Amino acid sequence: MTATDLFHKYPLIGNTWDEMYDEERVRAHYQNVFNSLSSIPADELSKKEELARGLFMSQGITFTVYSSGEGIEKIFPFDIIPRIITASEWDLIERGIKQRLRALNLFLKDVYHEQFSLKDGIVPIDLIYSCPHYLREMQGVNVPHDIYVHIAGIDLIRDYDGTFYVLEDNLRTPSGVSYMIENREITKRIFPDLIPQNFVRPVTQYPNILYNNLMALSHGQVSSPNVVLLTPGIYNSAYFEHTTLARLMGIELVEGRDLVVENHKVYMKTTAGLRQVDVIYRRVDDEYLDPLVFNPTSVLGVSGILSAYRKGNVAIVNAVGNGVADDKAVYVYVPEMIRYYLNEEPILKNIPTYQLGKPDEREHVLKNIHKMVVKKTNESGGYGMLMGHAASEAEIEDYKKEILKAPRQFIAQPVISLSNAPCYINGKAQPRRIDLRPFALCGPNGIEIVPGGLTRVALKEGSLVVNSSQGGGSKDTWVLAK
Amino acid sequence: MLSRVADSLYWMSRYMERTDSILRMLKINYASSQDSPEDFSWEPVLRIFGNLDDEGAAAIDNNSRKILQYIVLDRENPNSVFNMVTIARENARGVQDNITTELWKCLNEFYHVVREERLRYALQYEDPVTVLDSLIKECMIYFGVTDITMFRGEGLCFMNVGKYMERAIQSADILDVKLSNFSNEVDKPTDTAYWKYLLMSISGYSLYLKRYQSGFEARNIIDQVLFNVDFPRSVLYSLNQLNRYFERLKSEQNTEGYAKVQFMIGKLRSKVQYSSVESVSLIGLHDYLTEITTEIDDIGSTLNKYYFAYS
Repeated sequence: MTATDLFHKYPLIGNTWDEMYDEERVRAHYQNVFNSLSSIPADELSKKEELARGLFMSQGITFTVYSSGEGIEKIFPFDIIPRIITASEWDLIERGIKQRLRALNLFLKDVYHEQFSLKDGIVPIDLIYSCPHYLREMQGVNVPHDIYVHIAGIDLIRDYDGTFYVLEDNLRTPSGVSYMIENREITKRIFPDLIPQNFVRPVTQYPNILYNNLMALSHGQVSSPNVVLLTPGIYNSAYFEHTTLARLMGIELVEGRDLVVENHKVYMKTTAGLRQVDVIYRRVDDEYLDPLVFNPTSVLGVSGILSAYRKGNVAIVNAVGNGVADDKAVYVYVPEMIRYYLNEEPILKNIPTYQLGKPDEREHVLKNIHKMVVKKTNESGGYGMLMGHAASEAEIEDYKKEILKAPRQFIAQPVISLSNAPCYINGKAQPRRIDLRPFALCGPNGIEIVPGGLTRVALKEGSLVVNSSQGGGSKDTWVLAK
Repeated sequence: MLSRVADSLYWMSRYMERTDSILRMLKINYASSQDSPEDFSWEPVLRIFGNLDDEGAAAIDNNSRKILQYIVLDRENPNSVFNMVTIARENARGVQDNITTELWKCLNEFYHVVREERLRYALQYEDPVTVLDSLIKECMIYFGVTDITMFRGEGLCFMNVGKYMERAIQSADILDVKLSNFSNEVDKPTDTAYWKYLLMSISGYSLYLKRYQSGFEARNIIDQVLFNVDFPRSVLYSLNQLNRYFERLKSEQNTEGYAKVQFMIGKLRSKVQYSSVESVSLIGLHDYLTEITTEIDDIGSTLNKYYFAYS
């Protein structure tokens, strides 16, 4: 096979934005990479793919799947062709996410304090109180610097005309940032010189920014605050990410069993006795955080940690109770929140969303269900979804029954096609659907978004679901400096 | 340092030391099995390092290949190299932020090596010495990487404490495999080839020739493996190192635990230091070795109580 065959007969899918091609023409910001890749013989590319696999394996960038009593190491699939974002596109994304995050932070503070927005009818009050992630335990609790969302992974997609839409706000424990960092390291190895030639902005500063933000949250009574990362443990599929972040920030990685609460203070058990913990970056969900308050069967959390938090003796990142703001039904009201709190027009658009809790909207959706994606409001990871255009009649009927049981738990959106990007599959470049999750860090000095993010890709041909639990992979994500 | 982290580092290190010892022990026994089949039996190896009932042991009988496969790769054998490397790596996985990335990479690669289908095939059809050598090399890389990259802190002390405790136990066991029957005949010249392999496997052959300048006598072998402080695998050397690294853990915060463990190590060290081949043969080598390993196990339990208990 000769080199130019790589992009030969690359199919353009109708009514879909292609990141690389504008009709038959390669977009200017992809030209350089297009030329470089085209000059590499195809079997060399396959070798590079193999090298990438080997690097992920030997560095243990894997998650373990347990079957028949034996652990099997799996790699989150990596596509070697980078996804490229221009400086001007990034400018829009950055401004849009910062704006959205400012509003969401204000909303969380408001919900857990005075509730102006509920009283003013901006967000329906019953929607909040029926949300399973709204935690009364957080009512009236002051959090350091009034920051609730320290780390956000807001998912963006592009419709057929290239417009960016917000797919969902992940404000609880968004994951994937380690792949933003590691994918870049792999690209450096498999494509020497390509990154400097293209003036790609670096992403390595992420752990430093996060560390500084975490340090700033300590109550200031100690000279060197003890910051830890709380993980559910080695059986968690994101464990690799937890250990990477802890290592890169130089903080201790702890499990629930390493911590103990005494007199409303959190301590970790060390070889030299107990040592107080000041800030916890937790990757354990609210529900499992404190068995005394939430799920009493949880062994991943720490008994009494919420009382320490409420007293201000420990800072928890992200704040507890954030789920009320990234609920898929509350999502509908984010543009209104932006107008209400900031008096600005939203920079990034929402996808039109129907709430099945409302009778007229439910009727409309049920009538047009073949054109809809129906989601559960409190599920993530691509679970509990119905893709109306692909589902069988029987699946639809079953799903309708589910909806009618608890309509509040569902929303529907028209099928958005997601943009395509070229992926290296079976020795050829082929279009696959992608999304984008930039990681925003919110600290006392404002919001910073590292130029890059996690591009997830639906590796199955024609699939619109990019979640890793549903056969998705990832790409290195480049933001160009100019 | 978190108690859980200290615990994991300690066990990671113990399992890697044990892996290395068992591989070396296998190598000599295999070589020996090729030399003098009429005198050779795998029975002591299976008894000390295996986990088989009589039936299982009878099934693999004296078949060297089957025994190698059992000890290197058997999933059901908790002491197999396969399982020990897996556990060592699992321990390392939980403390990646407390070891260097080089060390993690090295253990992770070893973990993938013992999982390769290729290894199973090679152990069945190819030269076992080559296979064992390749695995021993993985261990040596681990030791080298640890020495060169690990930061000189509390973590490395716990690793070394585990390593030298395990080494003392393994050296005692290797002696026990063959020598326990010799308690009453320490002066009798014996199976030369076996001693030579034994010493070579634990890199003690050159030292032996220089030091004892004689043929192979059980008493000299016992002397070297138990008491020679220049020999890095001797029991006394290991106890001295154990003492050295444990003393570095002295701190204001855990004086009670420190005093207890320090006392036990000191007592055991003195006991070995002031023994001789003659005094050992009075007690009987097997009984003497059992006393030592039991005391080391007690030190382990005390460490666990005062330093590692976290849940």
